[in-house]
Amino acid sequence: MGVYAISGASSGIGAKAKELLEQRGHKVVNIDLKDGDICVNLASEEGRKEAVEKLHEMCPDGLDGLICNAGVSGACGNLPLIISLNYFGTIALAKGAHDLLEKKHGSCLVTASNTISQGAGRVDIADLLNNIGDEGRVLKLVEQMDSSNLSVGNSLYVSTKYALARWVRRVSAAWAANGVRINAIAPGNVNTAMTATMSTSAKMALNALPIPTKYGQECLMDPDEIAEAMIFLVSDAAKGVNGNVMFVDGGTDALLNSEKVY
Amino acid sequence: MKPIEKYVEAMENKDFAGLAELFSKDGSLSDYCTNSSAQKEYHIYGKEAINMFFRNKFGFRQYSIMEAEVVNDTQAEFIANFGGYNIMAIATVREVNEEGQIKKLTVRPK
Repeated sequence: MGVYAISGASSGIGAKAKELLEQRGHKVVNIDLKDGDICVNLASEEGRKEAVEKLHEMCPDGLDGLICNAGVSGACGNLPLIISLNYFGTIALAKGAHDLLEKKHGSCLVTASNTISQGAGRVDIADLLNNIGDEGRVLKLVEQMDSSNLSVGNSLYVSTKYALARWVRRVSAAWAANGVRINAIAPGNVNTAMTATMSTSAKMALNALPIPTKYGQECLMDPDEIAEAMIFLVSDAAKGVNGNVMFVDGGTDALLNSEKVY
Repeated sequence: MKPIEKYVEAMENKDFAGLAELFSKDGSLSDYCTNSSAQKEYHIYGKEAINMFFRNKFGFRQYSIMEAEVVNDTQAEFIANFGGYNIMAIATVREVNEEGQIKKLTVRPK
């Protein structure tokens, strides 16, 4: 039996990954704002610190896998939250649990998004996140933006996910050299509470992102389609996979970017 | 109407479904103009993919044409707009099947 931790496992993709891992006999610690085994706000420094401390208390012998999945969409209307939770919360958790992963030669997985390849992100924001990493300064910048503009929220969302994927690529070699694999998964649009509560205009935008495996169905992907790939990536079956950004989007990225082979 | 005329009509009307129906099941559309706009080329294989691809591009206003003119039985010229970047382009129907469906269409800078 393995020991896994997942952030954002109270609903959506994270909940499905937790359910599947538990069905297979593993222990799973859910780190979430509500209904978690560790209830914390990963958007805050205190919450991140508490999450890491409690994780060490609950899993003293180490982790086989950590899935950093908690995040909000670009339509959440809270621009600072997009930055603090999606990027800084994720990285703080991954770094904070690194020693637990080392103990068991575990694997880390970060949830990015297939939107990272569609050109809607802001490279300047992604660069500030990856290259400067000063949360306070980025938040000051973001506070000046128009939070009522959906495209602004979306561009920040994509920027955080792009920066996450790039961070994974950057640290993957050193982490693997220390026995910890790290990868990112880039899901397409999934039926979750996040997408269910979107505005009509946001949903229209979603429908203009075709999912080839759902052709003609006008529907989004199911959480289990993403969760199964997540479980594969943190399992020993993927022991040769490191520093990879795996698109699990039914072929949307291949459709829109067929020439991006690498 | 000839296939190239139908193609222009569908593009002007942003009719992604109608555009896709002009192609055979294994029809392809290759657009080489994008290289000039710092995007990668488009190579879209299959009518369903053409439907989905242009639904996306039209939906997000990333592809449109204007000032189109059919210049012969298989070619049309137009200004192609890739998300704000304009380029003079020429589309060529290179192959059609027995049912008159497009098997191969290319768009190149003029």
